[in-house]
Amino acid sequence: MKLTEALRIRQGAAGVPNSFKVALACGFTPLHLETFLAAHLQQALPGRRVEVATGLYGDLAGTLERFAEIEADAFAVALEWPDLDPRLGYRNLGGWGPSEEIDMVKHAQATLARMRAAIERAPASVPMAISLPTLPLPPAFHTPGWQASAAALDIQQSLACFAAETARRPIHRVLNAQYLTGRSAPGGALDLKTEILTGFPYTLAHADAVGEALARLIQPPPVKKGLITDLDDTLWNGLVGEEGPDGVNWDLSNHGGLHGLYQQLLGGLAAQGTLLAIASKNDPAVVDRALSRTDLLVRRDSVFPVEVGWHAKSESVGRILKTWNIAADSIVFVDDSPMELAEVKAAWPEIECRLFPKKDYDAAHALFQELRDLFGKSSVGAEDALRLASIRRAAELAQDAVVSGATPDEFLAQAGSVMLVEFNPPPEDTRVLELVNKTNQFNLNGQRHTESEWRRELETPGAFVMAVSYEDKFGPLGKIAVLKGVARNGDVDINAWVMSCRAFSRRIEHRCMEILFERFGAEQLRFAFAATPKNSPTAEMLERFLGARPQGEVSLSRARFAECVPALYHKVEYRNG
Amino acid sequence: MDEQTQRLMTCFRTVFGDLSDADLLNASMSTVAGWDSVASITLVNVIEEEFQMQFDYDAIPDLTSFDAVAKYMQANNGAHA
Repeated sequence: MKLTEALRIRQGAAGVPNSFKVALACGFTPLHLETFLAAHLQQALPGRRVEVATGLYGDLAGTLERFAEIEADAFAVALEWPDLDPRLGYRNLGGWGPSEEIDMVKHAQATLARMRAAIERAPASVPMAISLPTLPLPPAFHTPGWQASAAALDIQQSLACFAAETARRPIHRVLNAQYLTGRSAPGGALDLKTEILTGFPYTLAHADAVGEALARLIQPPPVKKGLITDLDDTLWNGLVGEEGPDGVNWDLSNHGGLHGLYQQLLGGLAAQGTLLAIASKNDPAVVDRALSRTDLLVRRDSVFPVEVGWHAKSESVGRILKTWNIAADSIVFVDDSPMELAEVKAAWPEIECRLFPKKDYDAAHALFQELRDLFGKSSVGAEDALRLASIRRAAELAQDAVVSGATPDEFLAQAGSVMLVEFNPPPEDTRVLELVNKTNQFNLNGQRHTESEWRRELETPGAFVMAVSYEDKFGPLGKIAVLKGVARNGDVDINAWVMSCRAFSRRIEHRCMEILFERFGAEQLRFAFAATPKNSPTAEMLERFLGARPQGEVSLSRARFAECVPALYHKVEYRNG
Repeated sequence: MDEQTQRLMTCFRTVFGDLSDADLLNASMSTVAGWDSVASITLVNVIEEEFQMQFDYDAIPDLTSFDAVAKYMQANNGAHA
């Protein structure tokens, strides 16, 4: 992004009413870093007016300490070497050379300890993006440039410990230096002229890269939820229909190394909750034997569903999407055939389609990196491990119902379902807001919330959050529903309500309403409903109670609820009263 | 008004907002809200980006008006007539 473009983006947002406040800590003149950070965040948050407040020049540690008292939606920290010790910069003449080295190490270590303490005291629910020093160390040490000095290594070791400790909390997001290096080469990062003359050390290109990266840490792009892969010459090397289940390979000796790496990557993604499925034109019996091989690097049971046959790939993809019950724009499809990719893309334009480059090692490396970026998460929680198992069980459950011929009521009555309800879960429970911000179909109004907004809204008198976990005899689904509202004077205003699509068809939403009526003695529930392109399941649920499709805020009386609610079979347990 | 002047006016608007042509041609640090030393550096960087030229930073304190900037560019680069 050019500076001109960044300034125009900021000007263009001047009239947006809702602000998004970022506190930026940097020891240098923030100048264009502030502009680029704001512009990139503005692009990620088009409905908000990004405002960046900065601290005092030369006092990064002090600015960090003031974070504890600052009301902000996000914190950004751009650390550079002079923030650890002013002698590690170009605007201080405190001395370079052997006599200074030990003291520089000690001072840097003490400053890092002070910064760590300040970061720990910052509000726990506000995300903090931290960029470690991006510029080269100055020639302050006694060794020639090609030899690392012990003192410089000591400082870098202390910095690495500081970063590792900081990154343990997912709300503190440390910029990956490799990501930045790919966008701004270290040799082009320092602008000594502007550093000395104005106190701003970055070239424009580097300021853009650091600003973009910090913005990405504060407001990450949506994480893709599922990957659908082809088999032949993609998951494995060779055509299983011709070479047989034991003839395909993914090892180095058979030149299948890229396929092995791809399997390994998919195995890692599955372990962090990414849904995996197969869409392949093959004989199902042959594929089943190949997928039963014990040397596969992605576990057979971590892939579901497996769509194998001779129909169009787009049909397989459609069935997989239906089973997963997630939108096409959350999916990546990988195949070695450009024709298959084009066919799927034509039917499902929202899907990200990627070619598996079976002989192009550079392209394969880029693909692996991209898949990691598309599916990467700040943290992995218990629900991530449950996701695939619960989808598989839901499919089995539906199949059981068909086979047994049981009515929905008979089926639910025998399910042994238990809802664990928790009012006002602690702020450390990041799953609550994660669910609110990523759920599309059962979502009252589609509104996304920053951590600080969420926290502020809960300070309203009467405000509450209700989080629901669920399990039945088919297994646990984890935390699957969140409601937020305000209860006062016998009424309950619900302004956020989401439920995972994995929990549909269990009447959990009905039980949630019943719980609210009972807990607050409410005569009516008011829903801040707003239609979105994807939340028709929510509209349909409300329509069943109201007799008409909701167009905006709607109310449901206790009497009307009692008249319409179907039989509920869940056992309800409360975690905190 | 020549093309170079229009481009320079665009640079000023990028930094200081949507001022009228007359206000821009008479713009100075005393007439434009927000034109401080930091804005001067931003303005110089925007002009450098737009005109692919480099300023002598020692001259920045003297570039206190639209006219002064235009004359500096004419004298040092020839890009602005």
